[in-house]
Amino acid sequence: MKVPIDWLRELVSFRAGADQLAEMLSMGGLETQVLPEEVLEVDILPNRADAWSVRGIAREISALTRFKMKPVKFKLKESAEKVSTAVKIEVRDKDLCPRYMARVIQNVKVGESTEWLKKKLEKAGIRSVNNIVDVTNCLLHEIGQPMHAFDASLIKDQFIIVRRANPEEKVVTLDGREHVLDSDVLVIADPEKVIAVAGVMGCANTEVSSMTKTVILESAYFNPVSIHRTSKTLKLRSESSIRFEHGVDWNAVEEALDRGAALIAELGRGEVVRGKVDVFAKQRKPKMVELRPDRVNQILGAEIPVGDMISVLTRLGFEVARKSKVMKVEIPLFRAMDIEREIDLIEEIARIWGFNRIETTMPNTAFAGKEVDKEDVLRNRVREIMVGCGLIEIQSYSMLGPRDFENVGNPPENAVKIANPLTVEESIMRTNVLPGLLKVAVHNQNRQIEDVFIFEIGRVFSPSKEKLPEEKWVLGGFLTGSPFMSALDKGEVDYFYVKGVLENLFNGLGIDFPKVMETENFLLQPGKAAVIEGIGIFGALHPDIQRSCELAKPAFFFEVDLDALFKLIAEEKRYKPLPRFPSVSRDISMFVPSDLENQTIIELIKKTGTTLVEDVFPFDKYKDSVAYRVIYRNPERTLTEEEVNKKHQEIIQALISKLNVRIRM
Amino acid sequence: MEDKISRIKEEALKVIKEAKTLASLDEARVRYLGKKSELLEMLKSLGEISSEERPKVGASVNEAKLAIEQALRDRKVILLQADQKKKIAAEKVDVTLPGKGIKRGSFHPLTQVMEEAKGIFLRMGFEVAEGPEVETDYYNFDGLNIPPHHPSRDMWSTLFITNDVLLRTHTSPVQIRVMEKRKPPLAIIAPGRVYRRDSDATHSPVFHQLEGFLVNERVTFGDLKGTLTEFLRQMFGNEKNVRFRPSFFPFTEPSAEVDVECVICSGKGCHLCKETGWLEILGSGMIDPNVFKAVGYDPEKFTGYAFGMGIDRIAMLKYGIDNIRLFYENDLRFLEQF
Repeated sequence: MKVPIDWLRELVSFRAGADQLAEMLSMGGLETQVLPEEVLEVDILPNRADAWSVRGIAREISALTRFKMKPVKFKLKESAEKVSTAVKIEVRDKDLCPRYMARVIQNVKVGESTEWLKKKLEKAGIRSVNNIVDVTNCLLHEIGQPMHAFDASLIKDQFIIVRRANPEEKVVTLDGREHVLDSDVLVIADPEKVIAVAGVMGCANTEVSSMTKTVILESAYFNPVSIHRTSKTLKLRSESSIRFEHGVDWNAVEEALDRGAALIAELGRGEVVRGKVDVFAKQRKPKMVELRPDRVNQILGAEIPVGDMISVLTRLGFEVARKSKVMKVEIPLFRAMDIEREIDLIEEIARIWGFNRIETTMPNTAFAGKEVDKEDVLRNRVREIMVGCGLIEIQSYSMLGPRDFENVGNPPENAVKIANPLTVEESIMRTNVLPGLLKVAVHNQNRQIEDVFIFEIGRVFSPSKEKLPEEKWVLGGFLTGSPFMSALDKGEVDYFYVKGVLENLFNGLGIDFPKVMETENFLLQPGKAAVIEGIGIFGALHPDIQRSCELAKPAFFFEVDLDALFKLIAEEKRYKPLPRFPSVSRDISMFVPSDLENQTIIELIKKTGTTLVEDVFPFDKYKDSVAYRVIYRNPERTLTEEEVNKKHQEIIQALISKLNVRIRM
Repeated sequence: MEDKISRIKEEALKVIKEAKTLASLDEARVRYLGKKSELLEMLKSLGEISSEERPKVGASVNEAKLAIEQALRDRKVILLQADQKKKIAAEKVDVTLPGKGIKRGSFHPLTQVMEEAKGIFLRMGFEVAEGPEVETDYYNFDGLNIPPHHPSRDMWSTLFITNDVLLRTHTSPVQIRVMEKRKPPLAIIAPGRVYRRDSDATHSPVFHQLEGFLVNERVTFGDLKGTLTEFLRQMFGNEKNVRFRPSFFPFTEPSAEVDVECVICSGKGCHLCKETGWLEILGSGMIDPNVFKAVGYDPEKFTGYAFGMGIDRIAMLKYGIDNIRLFYENDLRFLEQF
């Protein structure tokens, strides 16, 4: 809100300059910047309905500086004619319109405003319209009460009805837009037509113009929730709706009306009809709120003297009725919206007394930290392992769009979708992390970065039977190109490199690498696609996808369900004693049938070897010829040559008979 | 006999001296000291010599043997050294060529800042809690004292899934979820992703927050100030001043924005801090009694504070990054800098 400093000076005296005012207001809770030509730009917080006006800011300055507000002076002359003959008003919904007031000004000459009013408005950033509308805008800006001026001759029978809109009722507002209303919208109407969307905007059909002779001036208190709702559903915001939705000052409804009528009469050379219409459900009275000074200091951790508390409250316009252990504080109606409870008063005292005068202390947290979020710790461990494997962590959006799926099938049907996305490309909550990783890989390739080793840890979403979707933490990785620092080192990532990364991950978490099976997945190249049941998939990105994404080199991908993975981690870790007796190793070279998997061979050797076989692994491989090294050890004693030979022969026989391998001598 | 011995010795020493390789040296050893060498043969046949001459001849043979052995050893050392030299010369490398190994991985800058911030609170005794990113409007708004159709809801531009399910606009719903399940005392931080319907150089529809709250008997606004001042000093430097400005959040009262002295100009005023000398880092306040009522706590018995900060913003300030999109574009030339 733009607040010219000379306008402030009409309402309160102060010595401070623009910069000082800005600093003072900011530190009191109204963020203020200094604009050129002695104008302040003040940010009004949503709870400070009272501050949405020059007078509101003046009151704040008065509280902060202890200078008193200047009294308001104006003269209102009324003609002989009674208001009851000039306008009739019926309020049909007093919930949505708790107070409706009107005055009538006759024989006005509508025209350009006088210089001083035009200048005053211009400085506050308000466009001058004519001498009638400018008066309402001036008072809106000064005291925060919106008013509306109607051309009385255009209102049928000069009969104003405040009612809910009929379903599907149509209206064209002053800005030329047509709106279809529903019965939650409050309108101002005459017996034939809607003449304004209450509190938001008037209609052209009763607009004041150069032809206007008689003005009906409306000043009301509309239900804040209703105005907020209307303004949101019609996507129509105005200076009026902003004030009404935050709640205006009950008393200012009348004050604005009187001052407005007087000023219109003065500037439009008209006459104010005697009396005013005032329709209300119930007069509002200031509320009383109890305040315990002890509680103030207990919450703030301060030692503010009671006298200081009373001084702050009084300067803010509150009346401290009883000054005992429990004070009774009367809340003026202009603060009715945000001051209802003791804590609200405590905030007022704290902010005016000064947040920065409250001493800093440290809370006792000796009780805390009893429950450790293990998953959070483990996710960090996973991150460290991935970084250790040379992968760079990325963070991509959790929402995807159709374009992200162009190369990886179709957007999932069964996904969590955003009803009001900023763009369709950010409208589907991801169900896996591959599209995001792929996007990053392509982005980098397009910038001549061909070696991409990345991972992401994040949540994926899928609809569930519950109200909220299922959220799972996953780890995804994407690798393409050379992993080496130096281009002198030749070699590119392959299936086994990716598997190595995953083996490191499992080992790093203290989990035995589980059984892996070849799988089929449209994302992965057949024959280079593996699944770890219930945990994840990995392998070579399908060459079709690689080609359509224009990736220069074969790419590899993995995704791991971290929630499932963490369940495999043993609760407690126990150490294994170091072996006391030496091991013996023996090698077996064999020709292996093409469909025989390493995993099967190892399982058979371990099974046949029973406890004597400590480890077995392939150490040489050329085409179908593979050599395995078997490590024998007896934890109890030193093995004899004989027992090793015997066991080794058993294993060889088992390999021949069960797996049909041919032993190389 | 003596002549023969000295001839063999002279010859052996000459051959050894001229041996150019370890192999030829070994040949010499076999020839002069091997089992079938003349000297060894002579020792074996000492028995055939008269007893008077035997000691003399024996001594001469031994003397020759020792001399040859010594020469062999000496020559071997020389040859070994020469060999080593050659080998070293052959192994010389260009020490300026690049090192071997796989490229370094790295943590995303947002992770690094998040972990740094978390670490400070964990050391103070806070624990980590989490909640869902897709939330109900109750946890995101109502439970936090933000009623429907209240202008304060406009403080957050929200992405909706359905009418009452949305992408959380802040990490504050975790407050409600934790307090519903547990009783005070509590000291919790809640890190995570949040979503808003915003997109420009400083706003991303996805960003990260770190929420924190502490509830106990007699927790004060002074405690809030103490905790956050300590945090900001650890995060931005011990010499930095911190200030608290009154503000408004529906779920705290009194509410405060917390500013730290500008990281660039240290308070003098510059482009980054818009000439104010201060950077707004945190939103905070004393937990509103209505929030306690929503979770069934007695606001007369318990008080507490809550705070929240944008990790992306802190990372931008810390590293001088002017566009938030860099974090989510994931250009490796950007990420590798961290």
